Amino acid sequence: MGEPKRHRVLMVSDFFYPNFGGVENHIYYLSQCLLKLGHKVVVMTHAYGNRSGVRYMTGGLKVYYVPWKPFLMQNTLPTFYGTLPIIRTILIREKISLVHGHQAFSTLCHEALMHARTMGYKVVFTDHSLYGFADVGSIHMNKVLQFTLADVSQAICVSHTSKENTVLRSGLPPEKVFVIPNAVDTAMFKPATERPSGNEIVIVVISRLVYRKGADLLVEVIPEVCRIYPNVRFIVGGDGPKRVRLEEMREKHSLQDRVEMLGAVPHARVRSVLISGHIFLNSSLTEAFCIAILEAASCGLLTVSTRVGGVPEVLPDDMIVLAEPDPSDMVQAIKKAISILPKIDPQAMHNRMKKLYNWHDVAKRTEIVYDRALKCSNQSLLERLSRYLSCGAWAGKLFCLVMIIGFLLWRLLQLWQPAEDIEVVPDILLPHDEDREILHDFKSSNEEHSLR
Amino acid sequence: MDNDNAEHPSPTRPKWRKVAYGGMQPGFDDNHTGESFLEDMVMNANVVKRDMLKVMQDSVSISEYLCIVALVGLVWTYTLRSNLNETSLLYLDVSLLGSGFLVLLLTEEMLSLNLLLHYFLNISFFTTGLFVLAPIYQTLTRSISSDSISAVTVSLLVLHLFLHDYAGSTVRAPGALKNPTLTSFISLNASIVASVFMASRLPSRLHVFAIMLFSLQVFLFAPLVTYCIKKYSFRLHLCFSFSLMAVTLAFVYTLHGLLFVLLLGLLVFVTVVCPYCLIRLQEYKFEINGPWDEAKLCFDITD
Repeated sequence: MGEPKRHRVLMVSDFFYPNFGGVENHIYYLSQCLLKLGHKVVVMTHAYGNRSGVRYMTGGLKVYYVPWKPFLMQNTLPTFYGTLPIIRTILIREKISLVHGHQAFSTLCHEALMHARTMGYKVVFTDHSLYGFADVGSIHMNKVLQFTLADVSQAICVSHTSKENTVLRSGLPPEKVFVIPNAVDTAMFKPATERPSGNEIVIVVISRLVYRKGADLLVEVIPEVCRIYPNVRFIVGGDGPKRVRLEEMREKHSLQDRVEMLGAVPHARVRSVLISGHIFLNSSLTEAFCIAILEAASCGLLTVSTRVGGVPEVLPDDMIVLAEPDPSDMVQAIKKAISILPKIDPQAMHNRMKKLYNWHDVAKRTEIVYDRALKCSNQSLLERLSRYLSCGAWAGKLFCLVMIIGFLLWRLLQLWQPAEDIEVVPDILLPHDEDREILHDFKSSNEEHSLR
Repeated sequence: MDNDNAEHPSPTRPKWRKVAYGGMQPGFDDNHTGESFLEDMVMNANVVKRDMLKVMQDSVSISEYLCIVALVGLVWTYTLRSNLNETSLLYLDVSLLGSGFLVLLLTEEMLSLNLLLHYFLNISFFTTGLFVLAPIYQTLTRSISSDSISAVTVSLLVLHLFLHDYAGSTVRAPGALKNPTLTSFISLNASIVASVFMASRLPSRLHVFAIMLFSLQVFLFAPLVTYCIKKYSFRLHLCFSFSLMAVTLAFVYTLHGLLFVLLLGLLVFVTVVCPYCLIRLQEYKFEINGPWDEAKLCFDITD
């Protein structure tokens, strides 16, 4: 084998700290663990408010907040070539060897991958979400994804269902798509030293209260469960447009003392909410992976979830009770969960989770994908164009045109600002002494922000 | 590579499972594609097989409504050319109102004195309001040329036809389950604005009142009446539609030869060509469903 190769990776996504969610978490933890493996990682995202320019995060993680304003749902305005100069400069300055884009609906990610391919870099793409094939939005999204993935070196999905979905959507050969799940920071999500005792059973729900997360299912399920079990209490964390409906339900069935609505829960407080309960309820209607389930299981909670997307792959069968997304079936599942609850030992569950999920393992597996990507052969523009041409009768020609213009612009940039004129950043090696604190700092520095 | 492993299967090697937990599965790469890959995919599960006759029969309601709008256009033209005077227009209004009521009573079987009184009151309020407002409508577009007004009216009518809800009725029929959509409201409003514009070119106040009443009756209640007929008996609906088409074509023929050809072509296009294309395109239908789809809720959300 010889000396392990040191990669120089640029992570690109519209979604990063200070925003919060599955993708943001994934990029942060993956970068931290890759840094610890000795690779160089730089993150590129758009500016968040006045957070613009270069920032350093824990562990020497360098983040470029490119001064492009988001215009819709934290996405930058798609300009095709607007970001080419800055991406080129970053790639050369940081001597990047590989570009890793995240999330299918991040426009910045698509643009960066396109430019990186034009410049001959190897690119890896991680898909974090599922898409249908029926509605207008999905059809367009799938075409854009096909464009990006037509020329990607390797792709990563977070679950097997997500892999099937991505392969279908993009027409990528399945052996190019890797499945590397998310993980959970088990040190951050420890069960309570003492489980809330007494006769009472607390069911915790933490999710954004929107249609896709199944808030309407909760409206049907909660009163029914409260009617059957007088000793059950609900804690609902999260905010969203459907919160009004939940509050209406609570009033209609006079459950004010049994359903507690916390509103938005900052990520740092998620654990303290989780450990006050016994059962975690996830009612999502679609989910590629669901990190929330991992966090709950790591805190020793038994999970009840809808059987959608990649959720059935996430936990072993004895740690989760699955139900169809139908109120009566979900009530049955909660009944079953309550019946097996006495057999659950939170500490034992936490220890199992430690073995099942680990960010370092995720980083090592991602490293393999990087190695593979670098082994891919270099291709000339013409070879790549033929691949774009096969994307569709009209779309193929359009994609080719976009690529050709991109290529010309790149050449123009090379003349205007030769690569030799761009100053290269010296590598600063930080001592890796504080091993666990790194991840803890992250937690404490984000008190004011919340997503879920 | 997993291909190498597949060639030498060893009995001790654990089977590959479709799970995400537990790290990399021993003996398998992360890009392993198991036999279960895409086995949950369902293709063309919800595709409805349509047959030509059924689609043609369904398209009759569109032709029927096209004819209704054409008839309205005819009445407007005759009034603008002063072929129809205000008294005959008023007679037309009353007879339309009466026949519409009769159809509703016969098909819906909801005869009650109270309801009838309620309707009567509503109608009288409505007509009084219209009568009071007629002078305003009459002078509304005086400063604009007739050409612009007719152009706008025609384009509004086309918009109306494009967005019209041909399956139901914007004015909610008693017992109808679905609420009208936004586009059907836009369509209705376009038709009403078109009537106001048209009425504003007429010479007298009574003319304006009569033509407005006529247009509103048709645009508001014709879909409801045809919907009720269709619900009552499909055969009756077909008979009614075909006689309406014949009458419209006859009237249009007397008005203008080219318009007649256009309308006839449109009707043939809607009832024959479009269904044929639809059936032909059915073959290319390719629907993919699988576990990645967003789950549908099995109950109605009542906000």
